[in-house]
Amino acid sequence: MNMAGLIITGEMKLSDIVDGDKRALVLFPRFGIELGFGDRSVEDICKKLGIDLQFFLLMVNTFLNPDYFPDKQLKRVDVDMLIGYLVEAHNYYLEERIPYLQSLINNFKNRVDHPAVMQLEKFFDQYIDEVRDHLAYEDETAFPYMERISAYGKSRLPLERIDYSVDVFEERHDNIQEKLSDLKNLLVKYFPPAGDRYLRIRLLNELIDFEEDLINHARIEDKVLIPVVRQLEKQVR
Amino acid sequence: MNRTILIAEQSEIIRKGLVQITGNLNLFDNIHEISCSSKLKTSLTRLEPDVLVINPALIDPEMQQWLAGYRDRKNGSGTFDTDDSNEDGDNHENTGQKEIKPGYFRIAAIIHTLIDDELKGLFDEVIQVGDTGLKIKGKINSMLSRPASPGSPVQDDTLSSREKDVVRLLAKGLSNKEISEELFISPHTVITHRKNITRKLNIKSVAGLIVYAIINGIVNVDELHDDKNINK
Repeated sequence: MNMAGLIITGEMKLSDIVDGDKRALVLFPRFGIELGFGDRSVEDICKKLGIDLQFFLLMVNTFLNPDYFPDKQLKRVDVDMLIGYLVEAHNYYLEERIPYLQSLINNFKNRVDHPAVMQLEKFFDQYIDEVRDHLAYEDETAFPYMERISAYGKSRLPLERIDYSVDVFEERHDNIQEKLSDLKNLLVKYFPPAGDRYLRIRLLNELIDFEEDLINHARIEDKVLIPVVRQLEKQVR
Repeated sequence: MNRTILIAEQSEIIRKGLVQITGNLNLFDNIHEISCSSKLKTSLTRLEPDVLVINPALIDPEMQQWLAGYRDRKNGSGTFDTDDSNEDGDNHENTGQKEIKPGYFRIAAIIHTLIDDELKGLFDEVIQVGDTGLKIKGKINSMLSRPASPGSPVQDDTLSSREKDVVRLLAKGLSNKEISEELFISPHTVITHRKNITRKLNIKSVAGLIVYAIINGIVNVDELHDDKNINK
């Protein structure tokens, strides 16, 4: 089943979505969906687990389809729900994806005897620090601000002084996948053959997947989070 | 300077449009047009244009080879392929025997459909049918100011010795300004070198360039200035 350009709807089977695009797999844990769901449809699962169907579809479609433009749905997006999802995604990067990549790099370093490999590891370690800083900034500075704005919109709780804005977030939202692409090129084109065979291929596959994951993730922040929060800001100010 | 451009395109609307646009650029003294590939070889050898703008649909595999050979000869690289011209011996259009003066020659594609990947290496520039006059002007200008790249321009990714100097100094932790002083070139030139390095290697970060430099022996591990620099 080719899903290119196809919009995911509530009637589709979850298993068909995975068949069409394996990248959908990483999204399930973020919603508490566990594999082993048989022939259930998206709507079924969402009802069973208490997931907001429209929100689920918005996330899946924006994540899988670069051309999906969620214009109409944006009005009814709940910021707290959205931030909950993004934090889950960040946890997945920090607790699952990055440690796994580190173990692959470590194996590569141990197997390959070349003076450049130490530098490669250093490059990677420093990159990981940058990713951690980037995620921590969002978790600790940007998201709490957005939650405060959202709480004000819902209950008119007194708003503390506004010391931040979504414009700052947008400006600081640099792409963190650029160095991954450098690393990928170094391993494909420039790092000399070192008898590493499948080890390097495994590492590359993971780098490519991670890069794509980050690009798709950033798209949700750019196309959904930023416009939604901007709307809220207009109501508050 | 007496410059000539040749436009090869079947569609009259597009061809006349290009003639009009290139005419307004004030870059060319002679503008010639042809509408089919049968006149291409004779036109090229007779006119010896500086720039050829051509629809890739007019280029079959044989023509592709001929054009690449013509360009290499014109730009002063590559050798004359006599076997090829013998093969064309019966063809009255065979122009292989004619002496071609070395000089300046660039090829641009005019695109209104998809372009074959294999053909891409032939072109110095790609003009889209939707491009504005201004954009076309920019593309032709940049093509005219670019140094001749023998063979396939898109695949040449080896660094010049000057570019290697820049990479070495970057790896040692020098800033653009310091590099310009060290190499006696302007900061602007350093930036141009860095752009070209990034384009050639497809490595954007300094940290990535350092790894490249060590792999290729441009710099030794113990020459690296300090760990701080890797994150710049």
